[in-house]
Amino acid sequence: MTAPAPHRPPEGLTHQGLVYGSDEEFLAATVPFCREGLARGEAVLAVTTGTNIGLLRRALDDVSGQVEYADAQDWYQRPGATLGAYHRWVDRRTAGGAHRRVRVIGEPVWRGRDALETAEWTRYESAVNVAFADCAAWIICPYDTRVLPPAVVADAHRTHPELATDGAALVSDHYADPADADSVWSRPLAPVRAEGEDAVLSFGADLTDVRSFVADTATALGLTPHKTPTLVFAVNEVATNAVQHGGGAGRLVLRRCGPRIVADVVSAGPSHAAWYLGYLPPDPRQPRGHGMWAVRHLCDLLEVHTDDGATTVRLHVGLD
Amino acid sequence: MAADTGRDLLVQDVGQGDHVCLAFADDAEQRHVLSHYLADGLRRGERVLYFADRNTPDEVLGWLPAAGVDPGPLVSRGQLTVTTADDSYLASGTFDPDTMVAVLRQEVAASLAAGYTGFRVSGEMGWALREVPGADRLAEYETKVNAVFAEGRASAVCQYDARLFGAEQLHGFDRCHPSTAELRPLYQDARLRLVPAFRSGHHALRVVGTVDHTSTATLAAALETLLDRPGDVYVDMRELEFIDLAGVRALAHAADRMAAGRRLHVVDLAPLMAQVVRLVGFDDIPSLSVDTAEDPA
Repeated sequence: MTAPAPHRPPEGLTHQGLVYGSDEEFLAATVPFCREGLARGEAVLAVTTGTNIGLLRRALDDVSGQVEYADAQDWYQRPGATLGAYHRWVDRRTAGGAHRRVRVIGEPVWRGRDALETAEWTRYESAVNVAFADCAAWIICPYDTRVLPPAVVADAHRTHPELATDGAALVSDHYADPADADSVWSRPLAPVRAEGEDAVLSFGADLTDVRSFVADTATALGLTPHKTPTLVFAVNEVATNAVQHGGGAGRLVLRRCGPRIVADVVSAGPSHAAWYLGYLPPDPRQPRGHGMWAVRHLCDLLEVHTDDGATTVRLHVGLD
Repeated sequence: MAADTGRDLLVQDVGQGDHVCLAFADDAEQRHVLSHYLADGLRRGERVLYFADRNTPDEVLGWLPAAGVDPGPLVSRGQLTVTTADDSYLASGTFDPDTMVAVLRQEVAASLAAGYTGFRVSGEMGWALREVPGADRLAEYETKVNAVFAEGRASAVCQYDARLFGAEQLHGFDRCHPSTAELRPLYQDARLRLVPAFRSGHHALRVVGTVDHTSTATLAAALETLLDRPGDVYVDMRELEFIDLAGVRALAHAADRMAAGRRLHVVDLAPLMAQVVRLVGFDDIPSLSVDTAEDPA
């Protein structure tokens, strides 16, 4: 980070990382951020640790009651659902001109994440840049150097176009645009460590067999019955995309990996889905393009990779 | 909201012991159910009595040849009688439920005594909307007459034209009947049936089976037919096995096209799909309402 961030009109997104190493540093950036927002009539949401919520409440004192708070542990459970929850919150607060602009403190949870989860939450942070690109929102994502691995802090410089400090914002030199075709975010799928044999099914336009195969196989792999409709719905949506936009056919692979069912849907023909497919909030009234948003919301993790023209969508669904 | 009555009966399954409400929205639906009902009874050797009101007796007799029955000889020998309500049980100028029940019980006994295998009766009930003394006791009759059909050798189809009766009236009369006649499906294949129906007296569509990318357009077309009918409309998902997002979107977008003040009620939707409605934002469409079986709103 070298140059001060450019001044920009308030209509679009401002997405900043806040790298802090003490309570004082956290408050020096977030308290003025909240107070200024409230003074301008903007809605303010703080999603952070319980400790930081306590610090903020005390520091904000007389205006504390005007800020909405949420515990990050509850808020950051699945990337698709979290992005959806932010989208709904922004929508509600700006609906009918209630607030012209919103401010969000969003501190992701990194503790207890395995390598894949960490990679996907990092991509989530990057996807915020495209998902909220047209939103009148200023989002600050705090990263606590006291507890986070250095690699996670380093990634904050790649996922945020700007870095917040107490007073000014600086352009991040390491920012990697999510929409770049060869960006670091578009990476091959890792090999999975499956327990037992892969269950494989090739499909064409008739998805009846796909749905019964998913239901039967997932049950045999230990998916709890109440989750079966979720996996059937999700695989059916991705397979429908393969049929309609990916060459008319595809291949499905199901297996169990630890606490999750992992399903790969590979389209047979050319398809150019972006890695952040399903992260862009659809207008309910648009004629198509809601399926992957719903699928990303319902799955624990969703990976999309295009290679040699064929797209693989990998869904991870928890067993219960 | 659950269905109004215990059973939706296909017309070919209506038999002795049944007292069935037929609510219908157009002449073709009425003709389809009644021509089958009358012809089936005649073929089974039952005595058949029809009380016309909006149609003339000749029009009703005219339905039968297409159902494979030549009515002439049957009328001559008394197996088939098609008259009007005005010329029969309303001839006195008054409708009396107890008299009517007694007359029907005699008709059943007389039919059996004459060697018929049973008795079936159908009536067009539009007269109840005219200034007939006793018409306000029609629901009382519909309830009392259940005993006649429960005795087992007779059946009835009572016809309520949704173009004449209001939703609340239809709902009230439907509730007096143990079962409801299923209308001819708008669409039917091995995986999906789309059947017009009535719920709470409102026009409805029953979605039976599976909706996926191969049937989105079919569902959308059936919803257009439903939307052409007046008032709030219901889509009954109790017998739905699977629906994909495009199917749910067809429901939402159909609701979105409705005139202000009308609503499309999706009822008995699986909880997962109700969740999908919310997370896509279809719940922001004011004319769409969604109830799940588990979570009645």
